[in-house]
Amino acid sequence: MIPCMCIVQDGQISSASEATLKSKLNAFAQKTFGEDADINWIKVPQRSGFTASKPSTSSIVTMRAPEPVNQDDRGPLLHELCQFWIAETGQSMNEIVGVISDPVAA
Amino acid sequence: MPLYSCNAAPGAISDAAKPKIAADITRIHCDVTGAPPIFVHAFFFEEAPHQPLNGHQAFLFGSIRAGRTDAQKAEIVEQMRQSIHTHAGIPLEDILVTTQDTPAKWVLEGGEIMPEPGEEAEWLAKHHPEAVERA
Repeated sequence: MIPCMCIVQDGQISSASEATLKSKLNAFAQKTFGEDADINWIKVPQRSGFTASKPSTSSIVTMRAPEPVNQDDRGPLLHELCQFWIAETGQSMNEIVGVISDPVAA
Repeated sequence: MPLYSCNAAPGAISDAAKPKIAADITRIHCDVTGAPPIFVHAFFFEEAPHQPLNGHQAFLFGSIRAGRTDAQKAEIVEQMRQSIHTHAGIPLEDILVTTQDTPAKWVLEGGEIMPEPGEEAEWLAKHHPEAVERA
């Protein structure tokens, strides 16, 4: 299983979009790493998220690779991950932080 | 990135204290590292299972870009611990603050791989020109 953590602002992403994103994250993990994603979906409570000291609209999506990822591959993978996220949520690229870490970062 | 995630016991950090601590987190991180505020995320949780308190009343975990010195990290930890103590009234000994290095090249923000510490100007000019104009 590929550890995947999604930190989102409560109320920002609908249940339907959450289900779609989980499905897409799992498909991404399968295609990229050959394993299912073990998704931890975490909602930041209302009035509890801040970016640059202001109420946050940001989402953080992290995935830990089972083997070190070549940097030439990591960039396109991160773009793919963030693109399907913003396509589903309507967020802007400035509101999504994507991380694909190597296993040593655990 | 950085992402500062603060887990606390129920009621230990009030809604009124959160924006004050978040402002301090942002200011402290930027003062110590020179990073622009636009990068700083501060999220608050209560009894979050993904970040066990292990007997503390508050646990602030900072995932920061790799490249900061040990002295910078120690300064961040001490000042942020003090901020939580000041605004939430939690005894210092009940507050845990730690940081973890994350290579910038692992992170995509604003549609681009994050810049290394100290190389933010071009990234900011592209994604947040208003922040550059204010500087």
